[in-house]
Amino acid sequence: MSSTNSPTVSLPKLSDPATASAMFEAVRSVAEHSFFAVAEPGDERSFAAQASAVPSWLVATVRFEQGALQGTVACTMPTSLARGLFDAFAGRDPSEPEPGAELVHDLVGEFSNMVCGAWLTRVASSRTFTLHHPIVEPVSTPRDARGPRLLAVIDDVPVAVEVTLKAEPQTES
Amino acid sequence: MRILIVDDSAMMRAMIKRVIKLADVSVDEVFEATNGAEALELLKQHDFQLLLTDINMPVMNGADMLREISLNERWRNLSRVIISTDGSTVRREEAEDLDVRCYLEKPFSPEVLRDVLNELADSEFAETE
Repeated sequence: MSSTNSPTVSLPKLSDPATASAMFEAVRSVAEHSFFAVAEPGDERSFAAQASAVPSWLVATVRFEQGALQGTVACTMPTSLARGLFDAFAGRDPSEPEPGAELVHDLVGEFSNMVCGAWLTRVASSRTFTLHHPIVEPVSTPRDARGPRLLAVIDDVPVAVEVTLKAEPQTES
Repeated sequence: MRILIVDDSAMMRAMIKRVIKLADVSVDEVFEATNGAEALELLKQHDFQLLLTDINMPVMNGADMLREISLNERWRNLSRVIISTDGSTVRREEAEDLDVRCYLEKPFSPEVLRDVLNELADSEFAETE
């Protein structure tokens, strides 16, 4: 078997248009296939407007390792959207009891898990990876972007996806 | 048929159980485990015909669990299906060496899993005729 986990191979950053496009396709695929939701590209202005208007958000962070590379993919979405996605995923009838916070957190964690895996498969399909159990945090306001992030709209509700890489791409001199 | 679902996400296990109910397969019992170690304990205690497993899980991942299963003659006839976010070619090649019948990549629509279950049930029936 070839050395597919070579430490000299790096992941492209989200600032790269092709990488950002792969991330959007990952979000769209997860939204459509598993949650029967429609995903469209988003923008900073509408996200900022929602960030101040929506009082409750969930951030699900998935840590990944791919050879020598480590990083995280964090999805931020309003709690109301998470509950809507829960209903679609679980097939919950409106007459049934509302799911507890633990199940909604699990749902958002699985959403991020699938987005992370679908993105890694798209940008580096020849390399296997490890995903760690998602960490889900409720927040009242989405944190400011620490770098380039992908903004999308799922069922008319804004979502942010942020990627951090701990091993920087190696540059050739 | 007795089925074992192995996934660290309660939501994903619930979704798979829901699809099993929609499939045209005769199911006696469905068991759940949150990681490979829990699954191996259940496999020792009960006879299963079908294993549906994730790969990335805490404690023991799905690949390590499948390696253990492939070493035990008792589980030779257990049908194994991977349901994972990891769609890498390396992982798919590894699955072939672990006697995995089907590799289903997340995200997937419920209909895809239902069709896989129906096909597996049909092939099992054909093999026992």
